[in-house]
Amino acid sequence: MTGKGTAGFTCPYCGKRFDTFEELKQDILTSHRGSPLPAPEGQIRLIVNGQEHVENVEPSWTLYHLIHDRLGMTGSKQFCDRGACGSCTVIMDGLPVLSCMVLAIECDGRTIETVEGIARDNHPLIESYVEHHAMQCGYCTPGFVVTSKALLDRNPDPTEEEIRDALSGNLCRCGTYPQHIIAVREAAGRLPGHKDSGGV
Amino acid sequence: MKPFRHFNAQSVDQAASLMAGYGGRACIIAGGTDLLGRMKDRILPSYPEALVNLKTIAGLDAIRAEDGVLRIGALATLASVAAHPEVLSNYRALAEAAGRTASPQLRNMGTIGGNICQDIRCWYYRGPLNRFSCLRKGGGRCYALKGDNRYHSIFGGSVEKGCVAVHPSDTAPALIALGASVVTSKRTVEAEQLFSVRLSGTTILEGDEIITEIRIPEPSAGTSSSFMKFALRKSIDFPIVNCAVALTREEDRVARARICLNAVHVVPRRVTGAEEVIQGRTMTEDVAGEAAEVAVSDAKPLEHNAYMVQVARALVKRAILACGG
Ligand SMILES: Cc1cc2nc3c(=O)[nH]c(=O)nc-3n(C[C@@H](O)[C@@H](O)[C@H](O)COP(=O)(O)OP(=O)(O)OC[C@H]3O[C@@H](n4cnc5c(N)ncnc54)[C@H](O)[C@@H]3O)c2cc1C
Ligand code: SF4
Ligand code: FES
Ligand code: FES
Repeated sequence: MTGKGTAGFTCPYCGKRFDTFEELKQDILTSHRGSPLPAPEGQIRLIVNGQEHVENVEPSWTLYHLIHDRLGMTGSKQFCDRGACGSCTVIMDGLPVLSCMVLAIECDGRTIETVEGIARDNHPLIESYVEHHAMQCGYCTPGFVVTSKALLDRNPDPTEEEIRDALSGNLCRCGTYPQHIIAVREAAGRLPGHKDSGGV
Repeated sequence: MKPFRHFNAQSVDQAASLMAGYGGRACIIAGGTDLLGRMKDRILPSYPEALVNLKTIAGLDAIRAEDGVLRIGALATLASVAAHPEVLSNYRALAEAAGRTASPQLRNMGTIGGNICQDIRCWYYRGPLNRFSCLRKGGGRCYALKGDNRYHSIFGGSVEKGCVAVHPSDTAPALIALGASVVTSKRTVEAEQLFSVRLSGTTILEGDEIITEIRIPEPSAGTSSSFMKFALRKSIDFPIVNCAVALTREEDRVARARICLNAVHVVPRRVTGAEEVIQGRTMTEDVAGEAAEVAVSDAKPLEHNAYMVQVARALVKRAILACGG
């Protein structure tokens, strides 16, 4: 990171720029003496589905690229690659976001949940999506499931209107929209603690 | 995307000095929802050598009401603005505008600073790989003038350049109606003065200038505000026309009003003529209709967008009436 870029030398601790290497060295000695070594540029630490990963990423990688192509979790799907369809949705620190429009290098310290984690935990959404056949070609389905999971985490008993709103950023070319409302309502009913679930 | 360097800024000063160091060859990234699309389509004048990330600057996403001023950090997401109790109760137009921007996922990512700085959406301009080297890119002509201009300006082009691409922001008209100002690393400007038509740009900001905060004075007693958006789909789509109104009543008369349309002109368009019509009057449907008529009286639609005049007229009227009777 201390390389000579077009605009001088960059401090690996704070990113400050200097014209000469000598100035950089002086600044490091005065401002950062004794600080722990900075993490290498591009190294991030993140939790995906409960498991910690330390990865070296290129600045140009999206979070989708990291999860799908590098970590091999192929559940998330890329459709538009422009933020306009929701099929690449993952949950980041509790909120649904579009992994095609997030840079992996900006995910240091984040907690990510993908459809693989949701399936592994046997979330009732999976069963109810299957039962209600809330898919045709299935390409958009992981994005819908992830977005619905984030909704149920926040609001375990959503109304039809709330489900529509929460899923309004997800597109389905096959037109399966009505089934999602049914599947999510039913999954909500099966969540532990729900008045209709009969359990816990 | 092509390779670039990436910096996580720790302070506004550091971000500004990185930007200055790169002298126009770096870009600021906030939520990235606009910028990454432009990088993927390679429509920037030159590919950035570096991105300077503002999300790592502590505290820049705070929203707080203090001494009669609502202070919204530039990095506050649209979702957090739309859900903030203070915004919901006193700055209704902004809550509605932020809540109707893009989609739920994009509202969790996109910031309010990025929303007002976002680039135009003209489909010739956004054509991948700079396929249309138009006026706004320093080329020789505007493709929209003779081409498909159904979503372009109904109030003419920018004076010097002739570009008819509209400003697409949903929050900008709400901020202007509410009398917001924008604090940057260099100065404070009225939200209304922020916008301009530039080569590959939509604001007056300098290359190394960073928006840090948006300030909105607490509305005086008797003020209510509203926002209306017309788009093809209820979600994801950009506005075809939007309109925000802030209206202050004294007794049963309108003491002051600010009305701002957007997506109809090259910059957000405050319609002062319409404001004057309702000032001092008791609000009725007819008065609102009269104001709406004045708001579009100087419209000069292009070949394919005369329908936008009608939409703008309807939204002005409805947004005024939505402020309550
Ligand atoms: C599918 C889709 C639909 C959309 N629909 C809408 C819509 O309906 N309405 C609407 O208004 N928008 C819409 N958008 C645009 C959306 O990108 C913005 O709403 C969003 O708020 C941009 O914020 P950001 O933080 O992601 O910006 P970024 O992409 O990070 O930045 C946008 C621009 O602003 C600059 N910038 C960002 N922050 C600062 C700062 N603090 N100081 C100086 N410069 C800064 C960046 O350098 C960049 O040039 C849509 C986008 C997509 C992809
Ligand atoms: S409207 Fe503006 S951005 Fe679109 S083609 Fe014309 S000059 Fe270019
Ligand atoms: S692939 Fe990410 S939103 Fe479409
Ligand atoms: S099931 Fe085919 S896109 Fe939704």
